[in-house]
Amino acid sequence: MTTATTSLTRRSNRFAYVLIAPAALCFALFLAIPILYAIFISFRREIVVGLGLGEGGRTEIWAGLGNYTAVLSDPEFLASAGRVLLYGCVLVPVMLGLALLFALLLDSRRARVRSFARIAIFLPYAVPAVISSVLWGFLYLPGTSPFHHIADALGGGLPDVLSPSLVLLAIANIGIWGGTGFNMVVLYTSLKSVPSELYEAATLDGCTEIQIATRIKVPMILPSLIMTAVFSIIATLQVFAEPMLLRPLTNSISTTWSPLMRIYRDAFIQNDIYIASAGSVLVALATFVISFGFLRLVRGQAFAQEER
Amino acid sequence: MTAAMTTTSDTLDRPSAAAPAVRDGGRPSSAGRPTRSGVERPSLLATGILLLGALYCLLPVVWVLIAASKSPDELFSTFSLAPSTHLVDNIRDLFTYRDGLFFRWAGNTVLYAVGGALASTVVSAAAGYGLAKFAFRGKKLLFNLILAGVLLPAVILAVPQYLLFAQMGLANTYWAVFLPSILNPYGIYLARIYAGASIPTEMIEAARTDGAGELRIFGQFAIPMMLPGLVTVFLFQFVGIWNNYMLPYIMLGDDELFPITVGLSTLMNQGASQPAMYTTVITGALVSIIPLIALFLILQRYWQTDLTAGAVKS
Amino acid sequence: MPRASSPRMSQGPSRRRFLTTGAALTSAALAGPALTGCGATSGGTPIELTFWTWAPGIEDVVDLWNQQNPDVQVVVSRQDAGDAAVTKLLTAVRAGNGAPDVVQAEYQAITSLASADAIADISADLTPQTRDRFAEGIWSNVNLQGESIYAIPQDTGPLQFYYRADVFEELGLSAPETWDDYAEAARTINAADPEMFLGTFSNADPGLFVGLAQQAGASWWQIDGEHWSVAIDEEPTQRVARFWGELVEEGVIDNEPMYTPQWNTALNNGTQVGWVSAVWAPGVLSGNAGSTEGNWQMAPLPQWEAGEEATGNWGGSSTAVTTQTRHRDAAVRFAEWLNTSTDAVQALVTESGVFPADQVESEQALTEPPEFFSHQEDFYELSTSNAESVRPFTFGPNVNVTYSLFNDAFAQATQSRSAEAFTDAITTLQEGTVADLENQGYVLS
Repeated sequence: MTTATTSLTRRSNRFAYVLIAPAALCFALFLAIPILYAIFISFRREIVVGLGLGEGGRTEIWAGLGNYTAVLSDPEFLASAGRVLLYGCVLVPVMLGLALLFALLLDSRRARVRSFARIAIFLPYAVPAVISSVLWGFLYLPGTSPFHHIADALGGGLPDVLSPSLVLLAIANIGIWGGTGFNMVVLYTSLKSVPSELYEAATLDGCTEIQIATRIKVPMILPSLIMTAVFSIIATLQVFAEPMLLRPLTNSISTTWSPLMRIYRDAFIQNDIYIASAGSVLVALATFVISFGFLRLVRGQAFAQEER
Repeated sequence: MTAAMTTTSDTLDRPSAAAPAVRDGGRPSSAGRPTRSGVERPSLLATGILLLGALYCLLPVVWVLIAASKSPDELFSTFSLAPSTHLVDNIRDLFTYRDGLFFRWAGNTVLYAVGGALASTVVSAAAGYGLAKFAFRGKKLLFNLILAGVLLPAVILAVPQYLLFAQMGLANTYWAVFLPSILNPYGIYLARIYAGASIPTEMIEAARTDGAGELRIFGQFAIPMMLPGLVTVFLFQFVGIWNNYMLPYIMLGDDELFPITVGLSTLMNQGASQPAMYTTVITGALVSIIPLIALFLILQRYWQTDLTAGAVKS
Repeated sequence: MPRASSPRMSQGPSRRRFLTTGAALTSAALAGPALTGCGATSGGTPIELTFWTWAPGIEDVVDLWNQQNPDVQVVVSRQDAGDAAVTKLLTAVRAGNGAPDVVQAEYQAITSLASADAIADISADLTPQTRDRFAEGIWSNVNLQGESIYAIPQDTGPLQFYYRADVFEELGLSAPETWDDYAEAARTINAADPEMFLGTFSNADPGLFVGLAQQAGASWWQIDGEHWSVAIDEEPTQRVARFWGELVEEGVIDNEPMYTPQWNTALNNGTQVGWVSAVWAPGVLSGNAGSTEGNWQMAPLPQWEAGEEATGNWGGSSTAVTTQTRHRDAAVRFAEWLNTSTDAVQALVTESGVFPADQVESEQALTEPPEFFSHQEDFYELSTSNAESVRPFTFGPNVNVTYSLFNDAFAQATQSRSAEAFTDAITTLQEGTVADLENQGYVLS
């Protein structure tokens, strides 16, 4: 992207290494080495001798692919992966759909209270997931929930959203609440950079605002939508804090509700770092495959737009 | 972006603000936009939907404000949206809890988030400038590695990072949370885009011709030109660290080192056997999101960045 | 803020590992880490021992030792309770350095720690009389494989039964002597008000269920010579599971987890009118059911056969010496002093609010009933006699695996509200526990 290369002196080339060094060092220390270490121990395991008590009760040996087959053949792990996929299928379309809807409304001249709405909807982004999970947890519990209070006062009842059939939606709602505003701002900014000449003809031709939105605006910001989708997908695979914090409130969330919760349990409750590492490597691989796969799938789309 | 990720992850997975420069919100040719008959007819439906969205987003915040005004007894007994008069008591309880441990958590959060984001921004700026404006061996490899790092979920690193830090005797220290926060592949990526787009190569050449040292060129010319973009890098990392729950949760055992998020979640667990703690948790949540909301509103324009511009340029 | 130090804090089951980080909130432990003040010695450098613990107010107890023993100074390093402390210790052992000299350990963690070679067999270093100070049931938790002893008990949580005396009186009920009585009382109470329950079956508290199985005569793990065996899916545990499963199926016992805001509300507003819990329950009740003060009464745990005297244990912890210590002798002396000396046990009661395991010293130390039960003069007398009837139970090397299985299997069972699902869950526990041990390389007998 730059053509500075030709005129660079050797001295300035060396300076490049000075510039890069801190990042490269951090990369090696906090990313590369931990990953290699995780891969290493994912092929190891500990076995016991006799009663396994005292010194020499345990030795570390090579496990081959044993940890991986153990994780992959565990129906609970597959179930947790399935739950998270389902969770993603709820979260990503709903969140991005809402974000797009709000962004289009903000971009429309016919809506009122736009700046208030923009700030209000963006606000949850400032609330960490830990805190938003706590807040929603209280809003879900019948004892402290205004919804339940109001429903009771009206004589009706509300279903318990923390029950097994609904808990996935309860968790997804926290993600939607926290993420819609940010994505809305991203999409709205993207909309604003679309040259308005593009709609002029359409407006004069008598297209309705909805037609302009679906036929002109949405296709124009497709690249932004795709990028937000990729990042949302990566995020869903990592869902951890929300179920972790809601878990004490209900018996509908197991200790292995999401793959990351399982990794956490393996490593820090059951002290099996070997299985936990294998799980980590698998989730990382899955993330790569899914996000690269998605990008590849939509690549033509994303970049076709740029050639206009 | 999603709260889901915010906890678990570094900024890597935040959707990007890859614009070469932060936009100030102006539509490229809005001046020439046709308005037919001046102001268009307001749409009730559109306004209604936006208001519903705002209500949805504000409800938990309103709830926390009301709940924080209740005494522990009232929390579970009075109507959720009926405010009470104990806000000051609750704030005092929070601040005096274990000799002001909450302030310590707040201080730790600032240290981790501001310190970590600053260090990260400096490292990212240097690397981004180096990648954009210099040619050197291994550049392509390094850039590809960093791109791969952008997609790697940071949480996956938490377990091996913990084991390595434990072996170095660094687990359960400030360093355990601070050091891993310095690396932000996404920040490096963004900084590279910003450097490429905002610093004219001719200017660097000219400065060199004038005999300026490389360090001076970087510090006095490059950094100021990249500054608006670096603010965005800083904000992304700031939010990433502040939201990151798993790393400090795993690394830290001593509650004097906790950031607010981990601290509040321990209080939430204590609520199990001491319901009075729930009021403290709620008040803590309120107190800790207010400055953050204020900060966000003030710096709002730095979030209004175009997601795709960067992707196109690279 | 509620009452002073709650025993629940230090004795709670490990799932609420965070309890005790905050435990100190209630006590004055916050005096802080300034505990080296009294280390002036006359000659030579004193030995310094590091002590990982989470008991509230423990600094004050340790200060006593430091004053009396200028040559062995103990430094407290406050830890997160339960699993977190175990994980940290195991990591330090794996890394080869960083372990303290003395650690607080929950009973169910002792075998895991011994099996990772993290804590030492101190049987040879113990004063011979030490053993006689403890009830057999609790001693069985620290004494494994013949004569090996891996820790000294500090506090215990004998199970007992708590009930709302006012509600019982109104309905013409008396404290249940047997589990059949308990079931009858549960039916009567639920019939009087369908919203009202005598208790709940919590999938989140494996420790309580273990205590109940222990009372019924179970010992989930056993050592036969050189081999472990697993005995979960056997008559005593099945009996307990079926009993609770039937009550849940009948709908006279609730199926929601304990220690949730919902449960607190239920205790407070009188829809939960009983609690099978341990000796530390008053601290919890005063915190989450403050408005019911004066209405609760404690009785021994209901028995399977009338006239029996058996109970189980829920919570409590012990003091162990690590294998990495370079001052094993001094560390053992300190651990013994902490849990068996008159001064220390008294200080543990007043500063940390624990129910001491040492039966000799606890009698003098526990004179007043806990505040929330000030109307029940014989509270500690009764508790002490309950503590003596705790039946033996051996914890195996993979308790955490079994407990996780419990959480998940009983989450499903309680939701399905079927007695059959409860006994099926026990089979799941057995199979999962055995599979995990075999996978680790154990040869089971």
